[in-house]
Amino acid sequence: MELTDLTRMLAGLLCAVGFFLCLWLPRIDFGKIDPDRKVNLGFATLSGMAFFKLLALAALFAVPAASVAVANYHTIEGVHGVESCNRCHVMTPMVTDMQDPHSQTLAARHFRNGWIPKDQCYQCHSDYGLAGDLQAKMEGYRHLARYTTRTYEEPIKYRGVFPNDNCLKCHAATPKFQAVSSHATLRVRLAENTLSCLNCHGRAHPTREQRTPDHADYPRLMGGDE
Amino acid sequence: MKTLRLQSLAAALAFAITGLYAIDPGPYQMAAFVFFAQPLFLIAGVGYAWRVWKDLKTREVL
Repeated sequence: MELTDLTRMLAGLLCAVGFFLCLWLPRIDFGKIDPDRKVNLGFATLSGMAFFKLLALAALFAVPAASVAVANYHTIEGVHGVESCNRCHVMTPMVTDMQDPHSQTLAARHFRNGWIPKDQCYQCHSDYGLAGDLQAKMEGYRHLARYTTRTYEEPIKYRGVFPNDNCLKCHAATPKFQAVSSHATLRVRLAENTLSCLNCHGRAHPTREQRTPDHADYPRLMGGDE
Repeated sequence: MKTLRLQSLAAALAFAITGLYAIDPGPYQMAAFVFFAQPLFLIAGVGYAWRVWKDLKTREVL
C-alpha cells in the first residue's frame, strides 16, 4: 500500500469521525448539562460539562485540523501522478500523445524509452502548481478555479516561458549533453532562459492546432479512435 | 455557551466535502475542498473560539 492510499484512508476515517461528531454536537445544550453528571472514560473521570466541552474541541478544532493536514498532504503528494493531470480533460491530449508509441514529441520519447520511470508530467513540470513554490501554488489554484468554473477556452496555452532548469536538472550532468559543443556555447543563454531547449529538440506536446476541438487530430488525442 | 449549532453544521459540511475529496480526488472535489471546505473549517473554528471566549468572559475567568 502506498503512502498516498494510506493518507486517503486516514483522511476518510477522520472525516467520518468528524462528520458524526458534528451531527451529534448540536443536540447538546451546554446550559442544561447536569453539574453532578460524571463521565467515566476508563482512564479518567470527567464532569459532564468538561467531557462535552472536550468533545466540542475535538469536533470543531482538533479533528478538522488533522483532516485538513492529511487532505492537504494528499493534495500536494497526490498531484504528482500522470492520472492526476489526466483528470482535467484539457490535459488528456498531452497524456494521450505521451503514451502514443508512434508519437515523436519529446514527452512521448521520454515516456516510450523509460527515461522517466514514474510521475512523468511532474518530473518535467516540477515548478508547477500545488507542488511548487508559493507563486506556483497560486498559479495551480488559478488553474483549478478556471477549470472548475469553465472559464477557459480550448486549446489551453502555456503562460510564460518553460524553464530550461526542468530539462537541465537531469541532462546537464550527463556526458552525452556535455559532449555537444553547442551546449557549452549556449550555456549562459540556456541558464538565463533566453533560449529554449525546445528550439533545437522539437515540440514537447501536440501543437495548439491539434488540441483545438475542430482539428482532425482532436478526437484521437482525446482518447477516441483514430 | 449554550449550543454550537452553526459551527457544527459548517464543520459537518466541510467534513463531507473533505471526505468526498479524499475518496475521489477529482478537480471539482479538489476545488470544493480548497475553496469551500477549508474556509468552512476556519469559520467553524473561529466561531467555536468566539463562543468559548464569550463564555469565559461571562464567567469572569478572563
